[in-house]
Amino acid sequence: MSDEELERILSSEESLTPSSGFARGVMAAVRTEAAAPPPLPFPWLRFFVGMGACLVMAAAGAALSVQADGMVRDVAVTLRAAWPELGYAAMAVFGSLALARFPRVFARD
Amino acid sequence: MGEPNEDDADLARVLAGDPEAFEGIVRRWQGRLIGLAWRFCRDRAAAEDMAQEAFLKAFRSLTTFRRESKFSTWLTAVALNTYRSRLRSDGLPLLGLPPTRTISVAPVALADLQEQERTEAVRRLVLTLPARYREAIIVYYFEERDLAESARVLGIAEGTLKARLHRGRELLKRRGAEKTR
Repeated sequence: MSDEELERILSSEESLTPSSGFARGVMAAVRTEAAAPPPLPFPWLRFFVGMGACLVMAAAGAALSVQADGMVRDVAVTLRAAWPELGYAAMAVFGSLALARFPRVFARD
Repeated sequence: MGEPNEDDADLARVLAGDPEAFEGIVRRWQGRLIGLAWRFCRDRAAAEDMAQEAFLKAFRSLTTFRRESKFSTWLTAVALNTYRSRLRSDGLPLLGLPPTRTISVAPVALADLQEQERTEAVRRLVLTLPARYREAIIVYYFEERDLAESARVLGIAEGTLKARLHRGRELLKRRGAEKTR
């Protein structure tokens, strides 16, 4: 295909006449849009208050964890010593939950 | 085509709270927006649906029109963005094959039909181009080869548009040649 032919084809697109009800349809949608209540604005004030609170909490948490570093280590040692008992207790809890769930599975059908 | 003064008057009325004034804008620009949508989908019903969506989007964002460009440029850019999003979410239109004509016709009429089918095939081939070249070609020829206006509608520099047009035409010629092989 030559450049001239391509140019001729692309330049010679015919225009499209809108269907008779097009403008009416658009205006019906516009009226619905205009009658709808305006969208709620984003609550920026609450957002910034929440963000501020999060930052304060994070800073306080970081400061506390630095101060209580020794205490955290003690808790970890205690937990490690009590691990087998904690494991049995956790298994018992999950087993009980599973047993409680079992009849409900059949009851649903 | 819309008259700038009429657009300004209708815009002022809509912004003052009279949505009925938008009808003047719709009536003046409907042909243009449907025509542009048609070039992107080559389906009449889909084109009108896309144009309606574009008008609604324009109505919602009339307050953002800063009068730094012509109203027609702004409206066409809004429509282009709408069509672009629509094609991205729905995918490219599934184009049916051009109707095969089996009736016997006079040689001259047959030549005309073949020419029409060839023309339509090239226009459909434009839709298979990558988005940046497809949009450049469609908008440039839609704007009657006005490079500056096309670049404004597309929001790109004229040099970029020239490069995309060149690459798009090259791709079209190559794909056209592959198809006829």
